Amino acid sequence: MERERDVTTVEAQRDGYSRTAVIVHWLLAVSIFFLFASSWWMLALPLPSEEFRFREFPFQLHKNIGITLVFLLALLLIVRLKQRPSPLQLQKPWMRRLALIDHVALYVLIVAVCVSGYLSSSYSGWGTTLWWAIDLPNWGYENEELNILYSDIHLWTGWALLAVLSVHIAGAVYHAFRNDGIVRRMLGV
Amino acid sequence: MSDVTRSVIGSAPGAAWESWLGVVAIVLGVLLTAAHGTEWTRQHVLAIAAPANGELPPAECPEDELIEEGLSVGECEQLVSNVRSYLVSAPSWFPGLMTSLSAAGTILALASVVVGAALVDHRAWASAAAIPVFGGLALIDAIGFIGVINAGPILRGLYLWNVLEWFVIHLMMTVGAAAGRAASADTAG
Repeated sequence: MERERDVTTVEAQRDGYSRTAVIVHWLLAVSIFFLFASSWWMLALPLPSEEFRFREFPFQLHKNIGITLVFLLALLLIVRLKQRPSPLQLQKPWMRRLALIDHVALYVLIVAVCVSGYLSSSYSGWGTTLWWAIDLPNWGYENEELNILYSDIHLWTGWALLAVLSVHIAGAVYHAFRNDGIVRRMLGV
Repeated sequence: MSDVTRSVIGSAPGAAWESWLGVVAIVLGVLLTAAHGTEWTRQHVLAIAAPANGELPPAECPEDELIEEGLSVGECEQLVSNVRSYLVSAPSWFPGLMTSLSAAGTILALASVVVGAALVDHRAWASAAAIPVFGGLALIDAIGFIGVINAGPILRGLYLWNVLEWFVIHLMMTVGAAAGRAASADTAG
């Protein structure tokens, strides 16, 4: 019986995500919420000029974290595809469908938010120096209309991401309150 | 997957309170990391971008920037006024206090995510670690509350309610962890 319990525990451990996937997932979570909170605050800073340079640091930080997020997301997807966790056994079919749609929407929206933000920045004429070390090429020329267009896409995909994240978090909380072990898959078990 | 494995995943061993408190700690820890990180950024930006004498020049509001940001001239001027009122109302010790608290708060908020994950995972050390981590966060809130009380009405209006809310939440989490630990010890005994 004891031996069967040990084997069971090992199998249960395999059921979760890999350690790398877990770390990247939580890095993404913290970074995304920091980007939301800091962006609402930084847009209330004085408009940039020779005398008002309040926006320089937070905007660069915002872009640096946003660009890094795309690489982190790519890493997460690679790790997930290479080491797929076993399918969830206990969920109802509609829950499985909702989880799949929610995850795909999350990935698509994170990429959309980051790419539209970078394009908006490119067309604004402001350069991007990744982590204050690497000058990134400007993919666009200075164009006010395209800057506003991509800025609007950045804004609305951001709101959509927040909505989809709410569903994601609600799902996680639901399973944690049920104590059914599903949340443990993303906790490095 | 064997039936035995499924039963382990389907009904995770360990007290339900750990799973509930753990997921609350994870979600709030992620949000709080973002909040403290934003506060740290705010203090850093004000320290590096505000003039040494604290006197801000009149706002500059070019028309193209107003269109891009969707701002009226009045709102643009108010952005500068907001910074001015902050600089005028912050005592000399306030930026240092908030920087220290937000730095410590960021670390403890990340720790609360880790402790939350350990609680959901029913690790043996989790409930013991939860009390100092949640208690530390409550202590940071209490120090911040005392600091803001002594910083004048403008900063009280900006910070006080927010700090009080987090203090009550962290107090409840600390007491909840202590009560859950005691209940588990009673059950084991």
